[in-house]
Amino acid sequence: MKVITGVVGNDIHVVANRLIELSLDARGFEVFNLGVNTYLEEFFDAAVETQADILLISSLNGEAEGWAREVKFLKSKYKTLDNLVMMIGGNLVVGTAAAKDIVPRYRNYGFDLVFHQVDLNTGLDTLEEYLKTRNI
Amino acid sequence: MSQLLIDVGSTYFKVATPTSIEQHFRDFNKDIFDDLTYKCGDTIGQFEKENVYVCSSANGGLSTLIIGITDSFSLKYAKNIAFNSGINIIDTIIYQNIEEYSIPSDLVDVVIIVGGIDSSSNIFTQSLYTYLDNLNYSNIVFVGSVQDAPELQNNIKDLVVLPNIIDNKLHIVEENLKEYLTNLYQLDIEGKEDIKNLYNITSNQIYSTPYIVNKTLALIDANYSVVDPFILIDIGGATTDIHYSKDLVDENIVTQNEYDRLVFKKLGVYKSKESLIFTAKNNEFTYELLTHLKVTENIFEETSEKATKTLMQLAIFLVLCKMSHYKKTYVNLKLLSINSIVLTGGITKVLSNEETEDIISFFYKKILNSKHNPSVVIDRNYDIWTLGITNKG
Repeated sequence: MKVITGVVGNDIHVVANRLIELSLDARGFEVFNLGVNTYLEEFFDAAVETQADILLISSLNGEAEGWAREVKFLKSKYKTLDNLVMMIGGNLVVGTAAAKDIVPRYRNYGFDLVFHQVDLNTGLDTLEEYLKTRNI
Repeated sequence: MSQLLIDVGSTYFKVATPTSIEQHFRDFNKDIFDDLTYKCGDTIGQFEKENVYVCSSANGGLSTLIIGITDSFSLKYAKNIAFNSGINIIDTIIYQNIEEYSIPSDLVDVVIIVGGIDSSSNIFTQSLYTYLDNLNYSNIVFVGSVQDAPELQNNIKDLVVLPNIIDNKLHIVEENLKEYLTNLYQLDIEGKEDIKNLYNITSNQIYSTPYIVNKTLALIDANYSVVDPFILIDIGGATTDIHYSKDLVDENIVTQNEYDRLVFKKLGVYKSKESLIFTAKNNEFTYELLTHLKVTENIFEETSEKATKTLMQLAIFLVLCKMSHYKKTYVNLKLLSINSIVLTGGITKVLSNEETEDIISFFYKKILNSKHNPSVVIDRNYDIWTLGITNKG
């Protein structure tokens, strides 16, 4: 199964990005890592070129929300991404906020799975469970 | 062994022997071969065919239309390769919206279809074939997913299939398409009746001039007082070429070639004079620049030496604008990082060092708001071309 991953926006947390790649790889996913400082258009374009099943965006410096607001609009311009599983994780706000407030907000932005300050393996376990429910 | 070097441009031709170099304005009422032998017959007659090397940019250049599936990968990579092969891109099409694009009425020399890594499949459907049925083209090449190649070959007549230009890490693989396009360009030049006749005086292959200049770049800093990084601007009668090292580009396309080239087809000072003036009039700094040069826009109507100098200064200014953040075209160069600007082409016979430096300073001050002052090297004796064609030969 193909996964596009990378760090969105002006965020250079390369170690976390590499750990995500290694973890996905260890679980048998075919990983396309776009690295840090990646724009939303590049994520979606990579999904088109690879025919990816999953887009996993990470963000650690809190600026994800500024980008995430554009996700639904931008994704709607692509004709082949309707079945793409959208996942985001990391530290998703600037300052502090409770996950119960953040998760619905990001769902509304167009993400199927949202993980705010959740352990990486827990997030990937949840992803695998989710994929079973979607029969992917 | 002494060699005779000939460069046939769109406006001038140059003839260089080991001891002299001469330049002649072309007579457009004559075939190139007749014009050349009329003006330089005595010189040419002194050399054996195997010692004569010819390159040409006259009437050269192919047009391409690129059909890809994303801006960030397939189109970006194909555009990069086409530009560096000296190909003029007339349009790019995002495949998913192909039905919304108008079809060019002119003949397209080569259509490039690209999209998907090799594990992707079934990307292209009937809408592609319908579009191509209505398009007038000479050559067509597919450089996308290997899995889609057989289906496309079944549906598109004379389709050339080359290895994918996107590898399985989404990186660019440029060599195969670049070689194909460069060869097409070469065949186009050789196929022109005017150029074919030049084989009467040489037994060596005739190359395109931009190819020769580009091959010289790696040798320039060793042969001239040029400090890396540098850019080379070749302003001619029909086009302006800019050659630059890859580390000056913001875009992080990783390729194996150290140098890239961009061709601005409508920024020449003779054949494309009208479009140069049109571009100038659409640049808000042009009138300030004319004031700085102590001329008015009436200069555009003149044919004096002063008018030619002004056009050449404008060409330098406009091409630098096009490579800066002010007027983004294909790439932005890190112009504040360069240490030298090398100028070659017809411009070197007209502008003095002071006139050139003046315009470059004006650009840096007005557009980049900087006092940065790269050194200017003017290739007055066409040494770069001579070096390139000699090494090629």
